[in-house]
Amino acid sequence: MSFKPNMKLLVVDDMSTMRKIIKNMLSQLGFKNIIEADDGRKALEIIDSAHKIGDPIEFILSDWNMPDLNGLDFLKILKQSEAHKNIPFLMITAEAEQGNVMIAVKSGVDNFIVKPFSAQVLKEKIEKIFAKRGI
Amino acid sequence: MSNQQFIEFSRPFIQAAKVVFETMVFTKIEPGKPSIKKDTMSRGDVSAVLGITGKFEKDGKAEDVKAMLVLSWPYDTYVKIANAMLMESFTEFNDAISDVGAEISNMILGNAKRDLRGLGYILDMSIPSTIGGPNHTINYPPGTTVVLIPIISAHGEFFMELCTK
Repeated sequence: MSFKPNMKLLVVDDMSTMRKIIKNMLSQLGFKNIIEADDGRKALEIIDSAHKIGDPIEFILSDWNMPDLNGLDFLKILKQSEAHKNIPFLMITAEAEQGNVMIAVKSGVDNFIVKPFSAQVLKEKIEKIFAKRGI
Repeated sequence: MSNQQFIEFSRPFIQAAKVVFETMVFTKIEPGKPSIKKDTMSRGDVSAVLGITGKFEKDGKAEDVKAMLVLSWPYDTYVKIANAMLMESFTEFNDAISDVGAEISNMILGNAKRDLRGLGYILDMSIPSTIGGPNHTINYPPGTTVVLIPIISAHGEFFMELCTK
């Protein structure tokens, strides 16, 4: 599958290291329009602003374990918003326990990726979401 | 924690560290011989510290667990590992790579947690913090034992510490 290079992606992680790794991987996969936020709260502001100017975020990759507003609560807020509830959401977490997967799925996450992961695994997860969503 | 229990407890951390380094740093690591650490001085210049709390449940009994994972790197090793992870070419420690160690420790503990659950440990992890500077010290919780595990990598030696009650 070839990805649409200008698709607007938002990477949310409190660790600049992981944002950089994810951005590197996404660039390798051909994505060129990648925006960053260092927590869920800032991500919400970016998503709102992008929506208001008619250039919305089209895909979110978010860490789970973040201070202030964590990835799960960030996802729940989005799911309550008519404007943003359909943005595809890939949750990224260091916690590999099955219980976490279930919690995220119940909250409406599109897919789930456990750190550490390779660019190939990220590609497969994104492709699965695109296939499911018909993107 | 008995010696046998410590060996069981530490194994998932070593295994997770191997997976994290192979996947994200693109290198293999080899753990050396563990020893009991008697002082609070860090063996590296940069340390990532993660608190662990939770319970150990076995045979219908539960006991509290309080532990800490510390990873310490000499500057040279740290920068080489950060460069490999981020595809960068930094020559010295700087803000752009200051949370690399914390992210590595986060991934190691996150993965170890899953295997430890199978052994009866139900654990929570804190958000990791980083301590920098030569000869810095680590604040271990009182009454705990610190086991120091040297780790060899292609980028140089670094240290894992597991602090348990």
